[in-house]
Amino acid sequence: MLGFLILFPLVVAAVLLVVRNNAARNAIVSVSALVIGLASIWLVATYLGSPWVSFEFESPVVDYVCSGVGVLVAVAILYYGIRYKNVWACVLAVIQVVGALIFEFGFAHDIAVTEGLYLDSLSLLMAFIIGVIGSGICVYALGYMKDFQAHEPEGAKDRRPVFFALMFVFLSAMFLIVFSNNMVWLFTGWEVTTVCSFLLIAYTRTEEAIKNAFRQIIMNLLGGLGFLLALYVSAIQLNTLSLLEFLQIGVQNPALVVLPATALAFAGLTKAAQMPFHTWLLGAMVAPTPTSALLHSSTMVKAGVFLLVKLAPIFLVSPVPSVMVILVGGITFALCSFMAISQTNAKRVLAYSTIANLGLITACAGVGTPEAVWAAAFLILFHAIAKSLLFLCVGTAEHHIGSRDIEDMDLLFERMPRLARFMMLGIMCMFIAPFGMLVAKWATLVSFVDTGQVALILLLAFGSAATFMFWAKWLGKLSGIAGEPENVEVTVHRSEWISIMLMAVLVIVGCVCLPIISWILVEPYVYSVFGTVGQDISTANLWIASIAAALIAIVLFAGLGRNKAKKVDIYLAGVSANNEARVYKNSLSGESTATARNWYLEGIFGEKRIAPVGTVACSLVIIVAFAVSAVALPGLF
Amino acid sequence: MSLLAVLIGTLAFAVLAPIIGCFLAGLDRKISARMQGRVGPPLLQPYYDVRKLIEKDNVSVNSTEGTYITCALVFTLLAGGIFYSGGNLLMSVFVITLSGLFFIVAAYSTRSPYSEIGANRETLQVMAYEPMVLFMAVAFYMAAGTFNAAGVFSLDAPVITNIWLVFLGFLFVLTIKLRKSPFDLSYSHHAHQEIVKGITTEMSGKTLAKVEIMHWCENVLFLGWVGLFFVWGNLLSLILAVVVVLLVYFLEIWIDNNFARVKWQALLKSAWVVAFVAGFVNIAVLAYL
Repeated sequence: MLGFLILFPLVVAAVLLVVRNNAARNAIVSVSALVIGLASIWLVATYLGSPWVSFEFESPVVDYVCSGVGVLVAVAILYYGIRYKNVWACVLAVIQVVGALIFEFGFAHDIAVTEGLYLDSLSLLMAFIIGVIGSGICVYALGYMKDFQAHEPEGAKDRRPVFFALMFVFLSAMFLIVFSNNMVWLFTGWEVTTVCSFLLIAYTRTEEAIKNAFRQIIMNLLGGLGFLLALYVSAIQLNTLSLLEFLQIGVQNPALVVLPATALAFAGLTKAAQMPFHTWLLGAMVAPTPTSALLHSSTMVKAGVFLLVKLAPIFLVSPVPSVMVILVGGITFALCSFMAISQTNAKRVLAYSTIANLGLITACAGVGTPEAVWAAAFLILFHAIAKSLLFLCVGTAEHHIGSRDIEDMDLLFERMPRLARFMMLGIMCMFIAPFGMLVAKWATLVSFVDTGQVALILLLAFGSAATFMFWAKWLGKLSGIAGEPENVEVTVHRSEWISIMLMAVLVIVGCVCLPIISWILVEPYVYSVFGTVGQDISTANLWIASIAAALIAIVLFAGLGRNKAKKVDIYLAGVSANNEARVYKNSLSGESTATARNWYLEGIFGEKRIAPVGTVACSLVIIVAFAVSAVALPGLF
Repeated sequence: MSLLAVLIGTLAFAVLAPIIGCFLAGLDRKISARMQGRVGPPLLQPYYDVRKLIEKDNVSVNSTEGTYITCALVFTLLAGGIFYSGGNLLMSVFVITLSGLFFIVAAYSTRSPYSEIGANRETLQVMAYEPMVLFMAVAFYMAAGTFNAAGVFSLDAPVITNIWLVFLGFLFVLTIKLRKSPFDLSYSHHAHQEIVKGITTEMSGKTLAKVEIMHWCENVLFLGWVGLFFVWGNLLSLILAVVVVLLVYFLEIWIDNNFARVKWQALLKSAWVVAFVAGFVNIAVLAYL
């Protein structure tokens, strides 16, 4: 089953690469997305609540394939690096491939990992996210890319086969990451996601896209080097390449794993786009929206936090990597929430919010207590669902109103009534009680208090306040109603609706069934890792949240707009001439137009002011952590 | 069990809080009038006002505003019910924020420029007070060992003895939450310093009546949070708490009548500085000493 989930998307990708017919592609993508989704649900159902299950699987062939893939990845990067004359990318790619090959044939060859694959409840949660949300996004991309291609200049080459193939390779690599116990295989998946997102970001081949893609690849190659360093230390010092054994040794002997844990955490931080590496995720916004949705919600960045959460038991006992991860995550959360206030571009707001939430998950992983891990698991789940819903909505809105600026989403509630409600649902799920993200944030807060993380409490409180500001004003913008503008929603593709509906249903079901998810999926993981069940919020309170969430969903989709009150014009300091355009007769009998814009508080929360602070602070934290862990490396002195 | 307690608490709060809140509002107007050298309206004037609003025609600028306000009112009642039934303080904080969000969205939905200014300012106010309110809940948890409001009855000493600094910080943001000048940017009781009618510009009749009732209930809830600092195992402490609450309310009225509205920059900066100093220092002391 695990093998199927890893290999099937690869096969699909290979087929998609050669199919150039649109109808055939639509059919293949839809059917295989359905298959992947059902297979992952079936997997979750089969192993529900099970602790760590290892699969005896060892194969030199797979090892060689992994080396081959590593070489291919490096060749691909070198090809583009030379073509676009980017020295750094080439240098890093060469270092990495040489390092990986020496490692593979010099050190790793003698270390056998008999149980190559595994699964536990966290992997299941991730599998659900990748399989259902990830393939949902692939379906959405069908309609979106059709419009996208139509907007391209005449005679532009149709590179959609490559696009869809890459999406499915991405899914396969993610499955490999979450199911591999052999850390070399995990590393291969890790590198494949890096290069896939590189190619997806550069998809449009504009100058900006190429530049941002290289920024992404350089930052993630640095993270990859961190991963490689961890592999070296683990193989030489601990003589193991099994993730399970690594975790066990780490928990029993924290002093031994300080350097590899720090290096792995560093790899996780780069992939999760934490400051100072957050710029790659912002740059990734130039890609078509399904790419952004995939990178932000179910893949790529989630691989980073997945690794960090896996390492949480080590962070609990090993202060150096723990402090690094906590501080970087906490600072990133607060500062990126601040910067989101100053953004008018909807995708940039989403990007900052993603980075901020990943920061929170990172901080939870760094704290490493059962309660914090409980919160982190829920943050991962709800962030994936709500963020993909929001990205899909913004993508569709962009194609129909011609802008991704929040100020242009005025009156969306009437122009695209269904879409606006879905978007509002997604936004509410991101920041307000009783929806999932806030419940998780609540648990986060309690776990920070219980562990005495005063700095984190501070960062969380101010960051959350900023979160309220930037979401609430966007939500308000969406809700505006005046007159009867034309409904432009009718031309939305069916595939887009299906995916958006899927995400919306997942949001509602997830929020309403939160106590059940906790019971069957998250608690088993926490129990299997820590031996205790950690949950900071009483089940009764979870049920109150669940009922309230159901209530709001009903109001949003059934209650709004039923009011039969007599309609009057709004007050405009004069007789209203055109209520919808806010035009009124002024005191000189001429016509004036009232305008109102949201607040972006550029002077206080502008990027120019805040980004340097975070970059410097987080870089310092990371450098100091590496210095300390290098000193602490036994046998070095 | 807990769910049932919250349900009963919410129903009781829905009946009692408007009555108490109405009297408090009447008292406010009486005392304010005396401070300004006037006689002031009858004590029940707020009730007469709301009754008149309810009798008005059902007129609205759009079809959704009223629904949002109803949601805001319902969640205010739920927040009060959670708190006064002895439930989780943090949850009460989150639910009242949800209610605030619905209030903001209602104003935005009208697309009136004046409402939007009010809504923007209200959003900013929430951002300004939220950190301190969270610190208040966290400090309470650290001092009392539980988030449950009912937990105070098993304490040997009121939490104020440990977290007086947080209490002072909370008093500062309480002025924002009670919508008192100088921090009444979005919705003021003083017509001379308001832009049209702030966030409620486009609300009328029953909708405005709901806003008024919601405001009364909010006041009762926030004053309950104040009283929480002074209650411990001794049941007589409840009397002390009521006395303190009345004193605090008087203080807020005095502030309201003696300070002119400030700009939003001053509001945001002062609220965050106070939160940082009072909340953070107090929590750090509790965590490390």
